[in-house]
Amino acid sequence: MTKYLLGRVLAALPVLFVCSVLIFALGRLLPGDPVSFIAGSESTLTREQVDAIRRDYGLDQPIYTQYAIWIGKIATGDFGRSFLSRRPVTEVIAIRMLPTAQIAVQSLLLATIIGVWAGIFSAVGRNTWKDWLATLLTLAGAAVPFFLTASILMIIFALRLRWLPASGYIPLSVDPLGSLRTTLLPSLVLSLALAAVLARQTRSSLMEVLQQQYITTARAKGLREIAVLRAHALKNAFLPVLTILGFQLAYLFGGAVITETIFAIPGMGRLLVDSVGARDYAVMQALVLLVSVTVVVANLLVDLVYGFLDPRIRLVRRGN
Amino acid sequence: MATNTLAAAEPVHAPKPRLIGFARRVRARPLFLLGIALVSALVLVAVLGPFLVQYSPIEQDTVNPPLAPPSAAHLMGTDYLGRDALSRLLYGAGVSLQVGIASVALASIPGIVLGMIAVYRGGWLDDLINRFLDALMAFPSLVLALAIVAVVGPSLLNVELAIAVASLPHYARLVRGQVLAVREFEYVTAIRAVGARDVRIMFRHVLPNVISPTLVQASLGVGFAITAEASLSFLGLGVQPPAPTWGSMIQTGFQYLEVAPWLVVAPGTMIFVAVLGFNLLGDGIREALDPHMRSAN
Repeated sequence: MTKYLLGRVLAALPVLFVCSVLIFALGRLLPGDPVSFIAGSESTLTREQVDAIRRDYGLDQPIYTQYAIWIGKIATGDFGRSFLSRRPVTEVIAIRMLPTAQIAVQSLLLATIIGVWAGIFSAVGRNTWKDWLATLLTLAGAAVPFFLTASILMIIFALRLRWLPASGYIPLSVDPLGSLRTTLLPSLVLSLALAAVLARQTRSSLMEVLQQQYITTARAKGLREIAVLRAHALKNAFLPVLTILGFQLAYLFGGAVITETIFAIPGMGRLLVDSVGARDYAVMQALVLLVSVTVVVANLLVDLVYGFLDPRIRLVRRGN
Repeated sequence: MATNTLAAAEPVHAPKPRLIGFARRVRARPLFLLGIALVSALVLVAVLGPFLVQYSPIEQDTVNPPLAPPSAAHLMGTDYLGRDALSRLLYGAGVSLQVGIASVALASIPGIVLGMIAVYRGGWLDDLINRFLDALMAFPSLVLALAIVAVVGPSLLNVELAIAVASLPHYARLVRGQVLAVREFEYVTAIRAVGARDVRIMFRHVLPNVISPTLVQASLGVGFAITAEASLSFLGLGVQPPAPTWGSMIQTGFQYLEVAPWLVVAPGTMIFVAVLGFNLLGDGIREALDPHMRSAN
C-alpha cells in the first residue's frame, strides 16, 4: 500500500511541474512587456527607471532563473500583485473563492442525486421505456449548452414567476437562505451535464456489476431486487463513478466561467474573465495554476481512495 | 469495355455485403439516424442559409425600431442594432461548423502523430509526451482555450487553434492507447518478423486501426468545438463583432432576455441541436463499428 501511495504521489509531481512551466510560459508569451503594465499607460519613465523595474521583477535574469524565482515565490504563497487593483493576488482570489466553491459543492450534490438515480433507473429497467427515457435525457443533458438552460430557467423562475433573483450573490454567512436562492439556478445549470455523465457512468458500471455471479447468488437466495441493489450491487457500482471526480472539478470550473458571467456572481470564473479582459496577467496565471493543481490533487486523491477501497487496483495498476 | 472485363476478373471482395451490414446496423439504431439527420440539416443550413435569407447578417434595419418582435419582414425579429436575427442565426451555423471542423482537424492530426510517436519512440520521449498531455488535461478545456486566446488575441484562426490545443490531448491519449493495443496483435508481429520498418508498420498497418476510434472522437470533438466557440464568443473573446456567431448573439441577447427571449433561446437551441447531432453521430459510429455490437445483431 505504501508503495502504491508513493508511486501515485511521485507520478503527480512531474505533471504539476509541467503545468507550472506551461503557465509560466503563458505569462512570458503574453503580448507586451510586463514593465509597461506595471508602469501604467503614462510612459514618463526614464530608461533607468524602466531598468530598475526590470531588475526589481527579475526580468533581466535568464528565463530559467526567472522560472525558479517565480515558482519559489509561489511556493511561499506569493503570487505577486494584481495590476488592476494593486492588491496581492492571493487576497484578490481569496474573496472570490467562496461563491465558486459553494456553487461547485451544490452542483456536485445535485448532479450526484440526479445522475445516480437516473443511472440506476436506466440500468435496472434495461431496454425498457425507462432505459430509453433516461438515455434520451442523458444525451440531451450532455449536449445542452449552459446558455440555453440558464436562459430558460432565468425566464421561467426569475423573470416570469419571480421566485428567484436573476443575478447577484449573497454570501452564505450573511443570509443562508438568500444565498441558496442566488446560487440555486447556476448550480442547477452546472449540474445537468454532470448528472448526464454520472448517469451514463452509473448505468454501465451497475449493469456490469449486475452480471456478476454474486448478484445471481443474492437473487437466488430470494432477496428482493431492491435489497440486491442496496446491499450488494451499488457499493461496487459506485467505485467507477468516483473516478470522474477530477474531471468533474475541471468541468465545474470551466462552467463557472460561463455561469458566473450569466448570473453576475463574483466568483473565480468571473474573475478569470475579468482578468483576461483587463490583461491582469498575475491574477490570470494564479487562477489557472490554482485550478490545474486542484484537478491534479483531486485525481491523486481519487487514485488513493480507489486503491484503498479496491485492493485489485493497488496490486495490478502501476504508474499507468 | 476493357475496364469492365478487368473488373469482372478481379476477385470479388467483401465490401458490398459489409456495406449492407453497416446500413442495416444504421437502420436498427434510431438515435444514430437522428444524429445523421441533425448533422445533415446543420450542414444544409450552413451551406444554403446565406442564399435563403433576404438580409445581410450585419445590415441594420434603419426604418423600424430595433428589437422588433417576429414579423413577416423579419421572421425572427431583429436584435438590439436592428439586424435580422434569422439571417444572423443561419450565417452563424456556417461559422460554428467551420470552427468545429477546422479545430478538429487541427487537433486530431497532430494528436495522432504525437500518440504514435509516443508509443514508437517510447522511453523518455513517451514519458515526456505523457506528462505534457497530463498537464494539458489538468486545465479545464474552456479555461485553456480562454488563456490561449488571451495570449494570441481573438480571431477566427486563433479561436480554432486555441480549441485545437485544448482538445489535442484527448486525441493523442486515445491514439496512444489504441496503438499500444494494436501493436500486440499477432499480425503486427508477423509483419515485423517479415522485416517491415517501423514507419511502414505504423502507416500501413496500425493507422487504419486507429482511424475509427479517432473518427468517433472527432465527431464528439466537433460538438465540443461548437460549444467552446460559442462560449468564447459569449465572453467577447471569440470571432469578433460584427461577425454573426451564436455565442455573440447570446451575449448581446442576454441584456434583453425579458423583452426578446428568442434572441437567446434561438441560438442556444441551435447549439444544442448541433452538439446533440454530432454526439449522436459519434455514438452511432462507435456502435456501428464495434465488432461486439455487430455480432449481437
